[in-house]
Amino acid sequence: MQKPSPSILVRAKLVRFAVLCGLISPLTAQQSLESDYRTSGSEVVAAFEVQRRVLQTSSAVMLDGRKEIAYGVVVSQTGHILTKASEIAAVKSLSVTVDQTIYRDARVLLVDTIWDVALVKIEADGLIPVVFAETSALPQGTWVVANGATTRTARRLLAGIVSAKIREIPAAGGPALGVVLSSETKRLVIEEVNDKSGAKEAGLQKGDVILSIDGKKVSKVEEIAEVIKDCKEGSKVEVTYRRKKVEKTVEVRLGARADLFEEQKNRNDQMSGEYSPRRSGFPRVMQHDILGSRKVVGGPLLDLEGRCVGMNIARASRAENFAIPVEDLRELAARMIQQGGP
Amino acid sequence: MKPVRFRPVKVMNFLLPCLTILLLPLSVVAADGRLYVNDKKAPEGRQDLEALQNRLIEVLPKARAATVCIDLGEGSGSGVIVSAEGLILTAAHVSTGVKKKVTVILEDGTKLSGRTLGLVAGTDAAMIQIEDQGTYPFVEIDRGESVRLGDWIFSLGHSGGFDQERGSVVRLGRLVRIANSTFQSDCTLIGGDSGGPLFDLSGRLIGIHSRVGQQLVSNMHVPMSEYLENWDRMLDSEFIGEGPFAEKPVKGSGFLGLATESRREGGLRVTKVGRKSPAEEAGIKDGDVLLKLNETVLESREQMQGLLKELAAGDEIILEAILDGNAKTLTLNLGAR
Repeated sequence: MQKPSPSILVRAKLVRFAVLCGLISPLTAQQSLESDYRTSGSEVVAAFEVQRRVLQTSSAVMLDGRKEIAYGVVVSQTGHILTKASEIAAVKSLSVTVDQTIYRDARVLLVDTIWDVALVKIEADGLIPVVFAETSALPQGTWVVANGATTRTARRLLAGIVSAKIREIPAAGGPALGVVLSSETKRLVIEEVNDKSGAKEAGLQKGDVILSIDGKKVSKVEEIAEVIKDCKEGSKVEVTYRRKKVEKTVEVRLGARADLFEEQKNRNDQMSGEYSPRRSGFPRVMQHDILGSRKVVGGPLLDLEGRCVGMNIARASRAENFAIPVEDLRELAARMIQQGGP
Repeated sequence: MKPVRFRPVKVMNFLLPCLTILLLPLSVVAADGRLYVNDKKAPEGRQDLEALQNRLIEVLPKARAATVCIDLGEGSGSGVIVSAEGLILTAAHVSTGVKKKVTVILEDGTKLSGRTLGLVAGTDAAMIQIEDQGTYPFVEIDRGESVRLGDWIFSLGHSGGFDQERGSVVRLGRLVRIANSTFQSDCTLIGGDSGGPLFDLSGRLIGIHSRVGQQLVSNMHVPMSEYLENWDRMLDSEFIGEGPFAEKPVKGSGFLGLATESRREGGLRVTKVGRKSPAEEAGIKDGDVLLKLNETVLESREQMQGLLKELAAGDEIILEAILDGNAKTLTLNLGAR
């Protein structure tokens, strides 16, 4: 018997049910559905063979050595692939499998920090790009499929449905530079720079004094918050600071406060297993209920016609997956390919 | 019809029309009720998948309109309206007790006041009544226990709390286990879904979300039979059974958080108010005067303590008082000692 876990009310107090639930399941007279016939089971998934074949050719597998870390959307015949940027950021040698061929020369051409999408290039020709659907405005309840797992030669598919309205997911905890400021002086002296932050990437250091943001003078923490509060996660602001009497201006990428300072996992996080570290701060997402793991991101989301209606961009919790809607994805692909060059 | 034994084929011929007649009403039900894909072990291709999808899209709006968020102040769960007058089914660990005030939020964001009715502590069943007058969207309950293992079903709920931009979240799955007083499905649930509805593809309510296991396919629901068996007692606001999903209120466990002395002119004068106590939160201060507790005229400190001893943590009380010189009627809940 699996470990019973908490009842599903949002409330910290009720953790005690975790233990109690075990007492009430003496499963006599039970009937159980074989796992092959469950929603993600092989017998059910077999009905989606048409879509599986699309995934086989147009959903790339992103590899760190031999380890699968994410999927990707094949967007050109000549080897352009979009994937989730934060999942491949730490990978030293990125390989990509398309269909049954492995490409070991994958290069990251550029990254869109707002959508958390990387454009990856492999030296290939004659790839089969996804066919974009007209619209992501599918009625809730519509089937969608995604790459669920893969063997060396074949993709396995997972199916689910569109489960909520398309909407923005604001940066969790609000946008943040990723610095801790001293509370003792009247100036904005940096006390600590978060390792994963845009501030670190921009080279800000302990002891630097922040003077202005996007040209607006700031002398209090609240004033910084006021300037950046409506900015999107992943967007950049100009920070002017003073270090040893020299003033300098740098561009700093904004992160989500909750991601940077790792706020304590809430109960929903605890019951979710692994989720995407970057799961907020998207301008627009579709939501679906595919039962995937953390690596079910980066790949295409297909409809029953096998057309691409979106790109999986975050596993937010055990019940929520986000995808970039096709309208935004199409525009993103065109723009990034143009900027990234051949 | 003596030779029957020797002529089995004829018997069949004779019986078949009878069977057909008997089965007719059933197959009519199947035509507009039970979806044919439910009777296949698995969908076999595009046509079956579309049949599932189209049926879900068809019954979803009505199911969604009746799905509500139950706001408890310190957290939230879900529920579903089952009568035009606003009777809601939910989970016992959402309502937590009987005769408590809750806020009910409809899909469009309308906030209504509700009061918890009865609950079954051992199986996690509970009822709430919307107290605002109105005609509410509601769903039919599956009274015939017609749902079978493997049937395609869907869940709704306000996962993680109410979010108007997002709406309630729908998930599709199959009924993967039926045991005693529990349904298990592979419709993934998460915090905030508790008390929300599980439907068959005819849009009938078959269960209420209760709890989850570690695996994504371990999502547990309370079957309708639990509600139907205890219906009248729950309507009567009875607290049925003992834990684990709700704890029976213990008399004398509640506290108000103030000290009083009797007053010659009648009533009790407040001499001290505990910090962060229910009394303080209700706005009571030193020097205020309490006149009545739940309509009983207050005469002495001991008498008031006696009245409170009969109540429990979480119970609602009505105090008539003079606050800062103004007569007021306060409604507040006792805190836990």
